[in-house]
Amino acid sequence: MGNQKLYKGSLQTILLRLLETNGKMYGYEITQHVKELTKGELKITEGALYPALHKLEADGLLDVEVVKVGNRLRKYYKLTTFGTKETANKLAEMQDFLKTMQHLANPKFS
Amino acid sequence: MELTQTHIEELYKFTRAHYVEHYDVQTELADHLANDIEQIWSKQPKISFEEARDMSFQKFGVFGFMEVVEAKQKQLGKKYAKILWGFLKEWFSMPKLISTGFLFYFFYSFLDLQTNAIFFIVVVLLLVIIETVLGIRLLKKAKQRFKAKKRKYLLEEIIFKTGVFNTIVLFANFFQFINFTEGITAIWGKCVVAGGFTLAFFFSYITLIVIPQKAEELLKETYPEYKQLNAL
Repeated sequence: MGNQKLYKGSLQTILLRLLETNGKMYGYEITQHVKELTKGELKITEGALYPALHKLEADGLLDVEVVKVGNRLRKYYKLTTFGTKETANKLAEMQDFLKTMQHLANPKFS
Repeated sequence: MELTQTHIEELYKFTRAHYVEHYDVQTELADHLANDIEQIWSKQPKISFEEARDMSFQKFGVFGFMEVVEAKQKQLGKKYAKILWGFLKEWFSMPKLISTGFLFYFFYSFLDLQTNAIFFIVVVLLLVIIETVLGIRLLKKAKQRFKAKKRKYLLEEIIFKTGVFNTIVLFANFFQFINFTEGITAIWGKCVVAGGFTLAFFFSYITLIVIPQKAEELLKETYPEYKQLNAL
């Protein structure tokens, strides 16, 4: 819980990965899904989630779909073709980052 | 417990009271609040709608909905720039490139007269007057449009208002440029100034005439719900 700042730089990659796995999702669903997956370790705040989604939409990585659910409208986000390609790139970048961090945290002296 | 239609309407009002003016942003926030209120109620069924709503709103942090609104403005500002650039590019490919060439030559010829800047001032002044008239007409149209529909989308506001202000500011600044035109003798200098005026002319034409004419088409393309909501 105290290390939320460490996740901040990876928020967009997390969102892309979630949408890649789940197809289409709406904002609230994303926050709940992340909370569940990480057992409450990562809480995506509302103030960070929507700006990140809107940025990804502006960059052409996400597309939107609006559906009437009960008595209200719901906005779903899904990956575009470009978004799918970028998800693979961003995940690869994240893996490299994790490897580097692991080296730094546990240096092997030979 | 599920929220009623009255609750949803209350949530729209609540977002509006917290400086979210546009229907597209309001819709996303109202749904988010509604989901969270239902979640809160599932754990604390005895608390009122207002209490649950305020608990949910607090999760947006000290700035409330501001960050969401700013991000949306940036996103749609970027989209508008892309639309504008798309129309501008048309004037630099055939067959429209011929008209662009003529316009450039028109501005260049005025600079080439070398008498004084008065001709140029008259031309620019004329363009500014035309633009102001078109801008005012567009703003009036926007006012009527928003009043009739009772809801406005962020991109709609950018199309009908921001574009107008940008154009007026752009041409007003060009007046300062006129001071330099008198001393320009080098061909490249005249080309730069004439090129600048040609670009500004197209910028104004696209923002004041072309994009507003295509507003419905652009709104339908941006907002999937636009068509069905306007049919209601």
